Amino acid sequence: MDLFVSIFTATIIAATPLILAALGELIVEKSGVLNLGIEGMMLIGAAFGVWAHFAGLPMFLAVVIAVLAGMASSLLFGVLALTFMTNQYAAGLALAIFGAGVSAFIGRGFGSTPVEAIQPIDIPGLSNIPVIGEMFFHYDPLVYFSFVMFGAVSWFLYQTKAGLTLRAIGESPDSAHAIGFHVIRIRYLAVMFGGGMAGLGGAYLSLVYTPLWVENMTAGRGWIALALVVFSAWRPKRVVLGAWLFGGMTILQLQGQAMGLAIPSEVLSSLPYLATIIVLVLISQNRQAMALDFPVSLAQPFRPKG
Amino acid sequence: MKRATRREMLKYGAAAGLASGLTTWPGMGRAADTLKVGAVYVSPVSEIGWTKQHSLGVEAIQAEFGDKVEVTVIDNIFRPQDAERVFRELAGAGNDLVFGTSFSHGTPMQKVAPRFPETKFEHCSGIKHLKNLGTFEAKYFEGTYLAGVTAGHASKSAKIGFIGGFPIPDIVGPANALLLGAQSVNPDVTCNVIFLNSWFDPGKEKEAAKTLIAQGCDVICSMTDTATGVQVAGENDAWSIGYASDMSKFAEGKQLTAFTLNWAPVYVRAANSVAAGNWTSTEQWLGLADDVVQMAPYNPELPADVITAAEKAQADIVSGALHPFGGEVKDQSGQVRVKEGETLPIADIRGINWFVEGMIGNLG
Repeated sequence: MDLFVSIFTATIIAATPLILAALGELIVEKSGVLNLGIEGMMLIGAAFGVWAHFAGLPMFLAVVIAVLAGMASSLLFGVLALTFMTNQYAAGLALAIFGAGVSAFIGRGFGSTPVEAIQPIDIPGLSNIPVIGEMFFHYDPLVYFSFVMFGAVSWFLYQTKAGLTLRAIGESPDSAHAIGFHVIRIRYLAVMFGGGMAGLGGAYLSLVYTPLWVENMTAGRGWIALALVVFSAWRPKRVVLGAWLFGGMTILQLQGQAMGLAIPSEVLSSLPYLATIIVLVLISQNRQAMALDFPVSLAQPFRPKG
Repeated sequence: MKRATRREMLKYGAAAGLASGLTTWPGMGRAADTLKVGAVYVSPVSEIGWTKQHSLGVEAIQAEFGDKVEVTVIDNIFRPQDAERVFRELAGAGNDLVFGTSFSHGTPMQKVAPRFPETKFEHCSGIKHLKNLGTFEAKYFEGTYLAGVTAGHASKSAKIGFIGGFPIPDIVGPANALLLGAQSVNPDVTCNVIFLNSWFDPGKEKEAAKTLIAQGCDVICSMTDTATGVQVAGENDAWSIGYASDMSKFAEGKQLTAFTLNWAPVYVRAANSVAAGNWTSTEQWLGLADDVVQMAPYNPELPADVITAAEKAQADIVSGALHPFGGEVKDQSGQVRVKEGETLPIADIRGINWFVEGMIGNLG
């Protein structure tokens, strides 16, 4: 039972940075913009969060700085991709590489210096329930925030007029423009939301999960978040499921290794990727339903006519 | 306006290449008696870790030679394809001695060295030698054996957890020695092993450490390039063993000891012999006796007799009375690999691809 609880909680925590970054990218892609630079934005968030922490700011503000840094870096992408209408793939890849460099520069003085991590919070009454309390009510604030963001993103996309507008712009920016929506302005907002969430995901790694800065510490999580959005067929629920599946498989393969399963560690290490892709492809098999969720104008530059 | 000739283009191109690749390029002019030393690191120098220990070696050369040495350091060069260009530039710029600090620097150094016979190359973790390319490596297993002695005492559950970057002999050997050291104290100790298949993924390392702790391990030893393993152990009230640098400030008082790497003697010796003109290509495998592997201060919470036992083991390894891979050593399947009274030959340790009895893990 203890082992199960430990796997469960480790999964939830391991999935949190993925959920944050992927939910951000989901909104970006739903608006018809493809930002491949998540990895770079996460690194920038992670580095600026640590920088702010060592500048003496309280933890809450360090997280805010990380979000702002992620947003600022996404603005760079926005200017290139939306204002100057460059190729979105190229601009996103450039941001990924740029972010790795900038974050290395910002973090230069703090390499492998321990950070006072954000601690889990206890919810009075609930956290003391045996097993359940440990499984559900003993996380740091950002884990709960990721749940809140999942609810907020789902509600926004499918229950609000603004969400409908966003989706319409992703489907057909020309029609949305024709009935008077500011396509570029709304896409900018979406891109900045994505940047902020990626920055937050990065800060989760450097301030909470492994509280220290090391170069390239995201270790590919930005790319996994990107893949989750695509394989989940642009559905928030599946993004979260995919992230949990990926996190859970990572933990399980480590458990398997530590138990001495007679499978080479290289094969076990690849399991999370395989399992996540297979499951998400299987549940996204209905082509018609998928076509409905796919933002048709994805990665196409929009030039307002008239 | 004059049209640029091809020759000029080449010149400018080379200048741009130098400017972009070598930010810390020193002045080109130098006195004839100045030794020029170049070093290539895999990552930037941070507070702790692999590259930090190499930077201390370079600093030792600077301390020894003062203004008689000119040092060029290039960091963050891991991939062989980048490394080849950097080594060629360092040699081309007239460095007398060039250090490579990663196994991945091996192939590029082997390519570059024959073209610059005047430059001496020293390669850490290297295998292949050339006339002007020597190698050096630490006997990590001597350090893990001593750490194992303390772990054997400290572990209440008789379960140690080991996290390695990759299943390669340089990791498998030390993991084996860790358990052999622990078993020398308590024969019932076992060791669960996880390979991350990455040198550098703090997130995954944390998950691995938590996994090992969840499975009952109460001592964690992590041979990667971050302090995460030590940090997670401290958070979860488990003991830890640091690698490369003393990691006690990450450990919340729970670091038993650390086996640290002191490359300074290697660096200074190489610089001295190049300066004296009598450098030859050697294969150095150095350990406790050479002060290349050192033990960080033992945790004050360890009982005095445990520290004495570890110190005695250290003295015996130095004197040769004790060999971490001294028989009898059985492998995972119970087959005897080293007979009573024998020791595992050096070549077999450097190429070790099997786990000793009591290891719980798989090498595929």
